[in-house]
Amino acid sequence: MKNDALDKFDVLLSRRNLLINGTAGLLGVKFLSNWENNVFAAAPGTKAKQVILLTMRGAMSHIDTFDPKPGRDVQGETEAIKTKTPGVLFGNSLPRLSGMFEELAVVRSLTTETGDHEQGTYLMRTAYKKLNSISHPGLGPWFQHAMGKISKDLPGNVLIGNGNEHPNAGFLESAVIPVPIGDPAKGLENIRSPSYLSDTNFKRRLALANRIDADFREKFSGTEVDTYNQMYKEAVRLMGSKELEAFDISKEPEKMRELYGSNRFGQGCLLARRLIQGGVRFVEVEFGPWDMHQQIFTDLPDRAGVLDHGMSALLTDLKTQGLLSTTMVVLATEFGRTPKINENAGRDHHPGVFSCVLAGAGILGGQVYGASDEDGRSVADDSVSIADFNTTIAKAAGLDTKKEYFAPNGRPFKIGGGGTAIEKLLA
Amino acid sequence: MIFRFLAILLAIVSWAAIPSESFGQTKPKPTGKKPAAPVKPPPVKLPTAVLKPTTEPAMKVAPIDRARRDSVLEAATKIDEILERAWEKNGIKSQPSLRDDQFLRRIYLELGGRIPTYDEASKFLTSRSKEKRVDLIDTLLESPDYVSHFYNYWADVLRLCERPQNNIVLDPYLAYVKEKIAENKPYDKWVHEMLTADGKIWQNPAVGFQMRDDGMPLPYVDNTVRVFLGKQIGCAQCHDHPFDSWTQRQFYELAAFTTGTRTRLNGSDPEFKKGNPVNQLIKEAREKTPDGKASAALQQLVRANQFAVRYNKRDLKLPHDYAYSDAKPNDIVKPKVLWGSVPSSAAKADRREQFAAWVISREDRQFARNIANRMWQKMFGLGIVEPVDDFRADNKPSNPELLEHLTDEVLRLNFDIRELVRIIANTKAYQKLAMIHEPSSSEVYQFASPILHRMTAEQLWDSLLTLVAYNPWAYQRPTAKEISAVVDLDLSKAKLADAEKVAASYESTYFLPKYNRDLQKLCGYKGQLLVRASEIPTPVPLGHFLRQFGQSDRETIEGGRTVGTVPQILAMFNGPITHILLEPGSVIYDDVMKTNNINGVDIVFISVLSHKPSLLDREFAVNEVKTAETMGQGFGNLIWSLLNTREFIFIQ
Repeated sequence: MKNDALDKFDVLLSRRNLLINGTAGLLGVKFLSNWENNVFAAAPGTKAKQVILLTMRGAMSHIDTFDPKPGRDVQGETEAIKTKTPGVLFGNSLPRLSGMFEELAVVRSLTTETGDHEQGTYLMRTAYKKLNSISHPGLGPWFQHAMGKISKDLPGNVLIGNGNEHPNAGFLESAVIPVPIGDPAKGLENIRSPSYLSDTNFKRRLALANRIDADFREKFSGTEVDTYNQMYKEAVRLMGSKELEAFDISKEPEKMRELYGSNRFGQGCLLARRLIQGGVRFVEVEFGPWDMHQQIFTDLPDRAGVLDHGMSALLTDLKTQGLLSTTMVVLATEFGRTPKINENAGRDHHPGVFSCVLAGAGILGGQVYGASDEDGRSVADDSVSIADFNTTIAKAAGLDTKKEYFAPNGRPFKIGGGGTAIEKLLA
Repeated sequence: MIFRFLAILLAIVSWAAIPSESFGQTKPKPTGKKPAAPVKPPPVKLPTAVLKPTTEPAMKVAPIDRARRDSVLEAATKIDEILERAWEKNGIKSQPSLRDDQFLRRIYLELGGRIPTYDEASKFLTSRSKEKRVDLIDTLLESPDYVSHFYNYWADVLRLCERPQNNIVLDPYLAYVKEKIAENKPYDKWVHEMLTADGKIWQNPAVGFQMRDDGMPLPYVDNTVRVFLGKQIGCAQCHDHPFDSWTQRQFYELAAFTTGTRTRLNGSDPEFKKGNPVNQLIKEAREKTPDGKASAALQQLVRANQFAVRYNKRDLKLPHDYAYSDAKPNDIVKPKVLWGSVPSSAAKADRREQFAAWVISREDRQFARNIANRMWQKMFGLGIVEPVDDFRADNKPSNPELLEHLTDEVLRLNFDIRELVRIIANTKAYQKLAMIHEPSSSEVYQFASPILHRMTAEQLWDSLLTLVAYNPWAYQRPTAKEISAVVDLDLSKAKLADAEKVAASYESTYFLPKYNRDLQKLCGYKGQLLVRASEIPTPVPLGHFLRQFGQSDRETIEGGRTVGTVPQILAMFNGPITHILLEPGSVIYDDVMKTNNINGVDIVFISVLSHKPSLLDREFAVNEVKTAETMGQGFGNLIWSLLNTREFIFIQ
């Protein structure tokens, strides 16, 4: 965005809009009313330039969120509520999202191959099965690799959350490893040198380290050591950057922070918006745990409430700021949860059918794609594989999903895993 | 200006305030001259608990039998012979052997989980004993460092954390794991104990393994097989395994052995004869307060006492949507093991006992093979079967002879796993210079030497702590006994007054908010606990140094990672942990300041990198110290620089 004067102007303009709105009870009724005006609608065929991926860790129950089954025994204590579109219902913990259904493309017919969290999450993130012999890139690294960075100083992709299970760059270059942020409120920590350390002295230290370490780096030049060399370069570049404020959500008005919800996910969504605004290509926000084997009807309303709050604020904010016409928002989880309620009043793992959501740039909102059967047990219509889903995301960003990328061992891989894009979902 | 002056003054004052006994006995005494200007430390004092050196051993560890040394070396030679044959057959070039300093660093890190102190390094490097390597291996294996390091390993494998759910207090189990490592309990007996334990966790902390998967009887079976038998059968929980031979039916047949295991008391237990005492007590407590809210500690304590592991035989049914033709949905499944048979010794025992006996079976060998492979992976960086939990027909061992030999060794040693580690550490192959092995390379790795790898988060933390703390054991996690004494509540007869009394003792001790505050008071430095990684309550928060460097969230089996990221570098550059090293009172600061001359350069190199500088490096370093504004600043720069080398964080 920084490279594009027009885009920059857009951002400034929308920032100003926000400030003007802000004087009259910002972000409350007025903010949401922008939604109705729909002034920033994306032109048809516009592709996403940037992506925010919301990863629901631990397998989000489809029946209690985006694919309720009112009147069936499997529904348990969750109730279904109406969206604006007749006949389309959501779980009652998602009142805000149900109010903006026209922006969402809900896919209710996903099906995956495994009921194991680790493998399921890996498959969803990479579109490839986890194997011993090769490590596949996550979607963020892949986007950065294919589309490049936007901001020169800021990282190309950022992961807000736990990070350990992320497949990182896979076989791609280490420069595309996401920058992990644990606590969005703290942003990127340790970014400034202590006050007593002068620039000159910092440079002296680095020069000395490089000199003493030269032999070791040469002797053990391989992916792991080279990755660290690369990370040192990135860290030094970041430390000097004026654009670091993108990581600092304390720069947001208090009301804006409240709008997203006073919790880690909400604040993570806000940070994601700032990073998108600053020119980060791909931001992933993790949220969970959704692994509700026990007492799902006690735990789910809170968690889904946080999701509803954060995601609706994110979409509204992106839209108001004119960013939703260039940014795609994806909500994904590794599999669903069993229709059958177990003896602990929970639901177990269910790879057979589950739901994910797409919105924003490149996506045709206001639709449900595919369907599960009457009890949410299996796919009834238009089965979507994980590779299909990932390929759709890639295609919505205008990426060539047929192009082969070669791993060091010579094997070819495709962005999206060589699935078939669902054309009906694309704008 | 005034503030700067104050800071320096404060630094000098606090430096001078260190009791003289905290200086190492073998090191030269301060010259009496005014020390060089300190590295302008931030005005925060290190916690006194870590400043005091102690001669008390941190814990009791089972001693190594030195009389067995010859047989250990013989066993090591046998392994080397097998490896050498494989190298010859595959045309693999032999790696150079480790120099003493390289060996020293690796062995401290891989057996003790930390770098050696300046004193330990100096002692080893100057020793002329021919047996110094063998000696050091033995010494480390009976040290608290070994216990701490292997605890970290098992904590990652077993997903150890204090509160896997809000109301499960797992602390006694964590202490138990550490105790079993310290006493070197034979591995098969240890596992059997965990798989068959009964009772409340305060009475029998071994139940923690079964409690960790509370409410998830099927994932429990999956996890148990994965960790102890190295097979991934999880997919078969929902359908026939797509890339292995396990069927859903087989999964259920195996799960039928442990189906009767409960982790919570319920209506069928005597404690619940007169209704649910947990709800009753909490209700009474709520009614007593004006706002209708019972204290968080009381609620947690009462609920935690509901957890107890009991086994009563119960039948398991196939799922209602069972889709294969060999049985009908909801059919009762008869227990059946995945391969082999239940050992005859357990034929008459209950089903859960039968399962445990089958898991640890000697005859079957897979249990022994799995741990042999795991320990080999731990030492060399890659399993003979890799990943270590994916033994299957299509995933063949890279050296079957080696794997079977190590399995024989495990059986010969009667599951004395530490002894196996001792043998591996004494092989020539293990004592060779690390090599690079790219995971995606098509070359089969034949263990010409261990693989170069970055320190784990815990190794890095404990190494930095070594440079800071005279006493890195200022605090240890409480023992199972200590916790039991303050949390046990007998639900069969407890009245509200009893619950309140126990809750009060809980709230003032191990209730996490209070507990964490106390820990911070004892050994906190800018929010960081200056104690061994094994003693810090887990999972540590997301922004913590340990998490930044990839410590597991303790949700996934072996979730620890060693990938480089930008925030790690920023932490090394500017984080509080780096700055501790430059604080007066830190071990390295004191050691360097005591010499007060250019010889401090050697001390910094030995302290941080475990070797003296090369001639050229020494020149660079001396030049840095001499041309800095002050000598103190120069040393500060040098320490910082060495910490920020790849040589520091990788184990060669």
